[in-house]
This record gives sequence, C-alpha cells and structure tokens, in this order.
Amino acid sequence: MMYELVDVKLLYGQRVALSIPAMLIGKGERVALMGPNGSGKTSLLKLMDGLIGPSEGRVLLEGKTVVKPAPARPRSVYLHQYPYLLSGTVAYNVGFGCRALGMDAREIRRRAEEAIALLGLEGMEGRTNRALSGGEAQRVALARAMATGAEILLLDEPSASADTASVALIAEAIRRCSEAGTTVVFSTHDEDFTRALEGRRVRLNAGRIENDEGGAA
Amino acid sequence: MREAFTLLISGDAETWGIVARSVRFSFLSTIFSLLPGVPLGVALAVGKFPGKRIAVSVVNAMTAVPTVVIGLAAYSLISRSGPMGKFGWLFAQAGVVMGQTLLALPVVVSLSYTGLAKLDPRFHETLTTLGTKPLLRLLITLREARSVLIAAAVAAFGRVTGEVGVSMMLGGNIRHLTRTMTTAIALDAAKGDFERAISLGLVLLVIALGVNLALHFLTASGA
Repeated sequence: MMYELVDVKLLYGQRVALSIPAMLIGKGERVALMGPNGSGKTSLLKLMDGLIGPSEGRVLLEGKTVVKPAPARPRSVYLHQYPYLLSGTVAYNVGFGCRALGMDAREIRRRAEEAIALLGLEGMEGRTNRALSGGEAQRVALARAMATGAEILLLDEPSASADTASVALIAEAIRRCSEAGTTVVFSTHDEDFTRALEGRRVRLNAGRIENDEGGAA
Repeated sequence: MREAFTLLISGDAETWGIVARSVRFSFLSTIFSLLPGVPLGVALAVGKFPGKRIAVSVVNAMTAVPTVVIGLAAYSLISRSGPMGKFGWLFAQAGVVMGQTLLALPVVVSLSYTGLAKLDPRFHETLTTLGTKPLLRLLITLREARSVLIAAAVAAFGRVTGEVGVSMMLGGNIRHLTRTMTTAIALDAAKGDFERAISLGLVLLVIALGVNLALHFLTASGA
C-alpha cells in the first residue's frame, strides 16, 4: 500500500479540519478528492506531502511516517491551486525541480523538454512567469512537478484556473503519468474533469470522508 | 551660495576629496554590513527559534538608536584600553568604517527580514515540496527577494552617508584622513566657512535625493 492514514486528526485551534480514522491509497491509484470549500481537501494533500503534520494519528508512506524533505523514495510533489512560479522563464521554472534534486544540466534539459511537450508548452520556453495566464502557470507548475519524476503527484485543484484547452492538456498529462505508474491524488470541484480522468472518488465533508467510491477504507 | 557652487564646479580638490572619502566609507560599510546582515535577516525570516519576536524587536529598535550612542559603543571597543584597542582603529579610516558598519547593520537586518518575511508562503512550500537543498534554497530565496535586498543596501548607504556622530567620535574629523561630508559641514559651519559647508550640503542633498529615488523605484518594482 502506498499511503496509509491511521486515526488522523488535524486541528486548527479548536476546529477539527480533518478527521480520518482510516484511508488507504494504493500504488499507481488515481484518486479524486471532492467536496465543498473547507472540507479538508487541501489539508489532506499537504498532510500526504508532509508539508504539515497531523495533530493526532499517523500518515504513512510505504509504512514510514511522511516527512519533508523525503529522505528516500518514493517522492511526492504537491502542487498549489494557484502555483508559485519563480522569477524567470518557463524553461527555468520547468527545470527547477530537477535542479533542486541535483540533476546535471543535460538531464535537466532533457526532462524539461519532455515535460514541456507533454503539457503543450512548446514555443513558450522563453516567456517569463509574469507573462503567463492562470492556466499556463498551472501547466508550467505541473510540468515542473512531472519533470522531477516524482512517484506521487498531489495536485490541488489542477483545473481550477485553466481554460477548456488547458484542462484537456492537464487531464491528458495526468492520465499519462498515472498510466506510467505515478500515484496521483487531486482535489477538484469539476465533475467533468473527474469523469475525464476516471478512477477513485473520495468525497469529503467537514473534514470527514463522506463517501469513497472504490476506496480501500 | 554662488561661492558654494563655484567650489563644486571648479573641482576644488579638498571639497571633492571629502566627497570621495565619504562615499568610499559609506560604500565599504554598506558592503561590510550586508555580509552578516542579509544572512541574519534570512535567519530571522525563515528560522523558527525561541525568542524570535524579541530578536526582531531588538533589531528594529536598533535602527532608531542615535548615531552618537553607536559611536560611543564602538569607541569603547576600539579605544586604546578597549578590547580591540591593539588594532589602532581609533581616529583612523578603519574605525569610521567599522562604526558605520555597526550603524548600517540593523538597517540591513531589519529591512531584509521585513522583505523576506513577506515572501509568499507558497514560495517556501514550493521549495520544500520539490526537495530543495539548503544552499540552493538560500540562493533562490535571495534571488526572489533581490529587490528588497538592494533596497536594504540603498537604505543602509543612505543612513551612513548622512550620519555625523560615528564619524566624528571614531574618526576625529582629521583633514585628508577621516574628514567626511558631515563632519566637514559641522566644522566649517562652526568656523563660519559657509561656502564649503553649503557646497558639501548640496552634494549630501543630491545623494539623499538619489537614495530616496532609488528606494522608491526598487520597492515599487519589488511590489
């Protein structure tokens, strides 16, 4: 099992943001987290990435407590709903994740070119982060995450700020990564996007799992 | 006033020598304050440690300490009987630069901290999720906050260029050695030599205006 959540509680002050007695996510699964604003989707993704820790319980990745930065594989990358791009060009941003992992320049270029092609960003390599639309920025950030070869992608509403064409490109890129064995967990309000990607659906409400279609818990 | 302009336009060696010395002292002390000041600002902004709020308050308070108090503290350090007396920095150029560095340091730390603390939280999370190593993280943080850091340097330069207490106490206003624009103005005004005092005052005004304009544009571009 890739992820195992055991008696996880996340408190913001007195408020219970998440309360998940048990949840399992298998390797290579494609999981859509759905639910209204404030239902805990973003918190759950951040917990799974180790960006925040649970107030109670354990989040296990291949049997080990999730910590960030990850000491060993498998690696996860979390993508914000409105991603942060560094000052610089599209090519610089897409390659940055590989650079952060210490890859050499040739490998960075090769992976960046692949990811740029996958997300339909050809011809935009020289454009700066400030000159991108929301959907383009989303695709650049997704390309950055995918170029790293992460085994787990945790995507916070990846289609939220994208236009129809971008949504189709993002869905296709996610599908291809998933088919290559990457575990993908994404939050969304978009039923069409979820349908296009198929897979498991977990509905959250007020921090609790309300419905899990095809889940192990 | 006309004589003051004449001094400047005629290229009076002593007047321009004082200007050059002042700018050199200010430039060096700004550089020396940036070296520890920026890392300290980064540590305050991204570090989590007990007493952080107190440390921030102390640094902010230090930016408002009168220059003569800084001068007095530095004097006690480099005077013959002080712990650094053996270096012979009192009434020497090194003493003025050291004092001005102490004066600029809190400005650099405070402004670096303020600017870096305002960086988008998504920036830090992005670096974390991508597994960025500490050194690259520091470099990228400085790169993202470069306009803030340049603004801190410009503000520090402005602070030391216009100060008189430290230069007077540690440099002794020695002609051709430690005399700066501000100490020269104080001396010339006291002697009644207003031409040079006014000419140096005009140069100081131009520098102050330039520093403020630079700060305005840098902070605007940073926003």
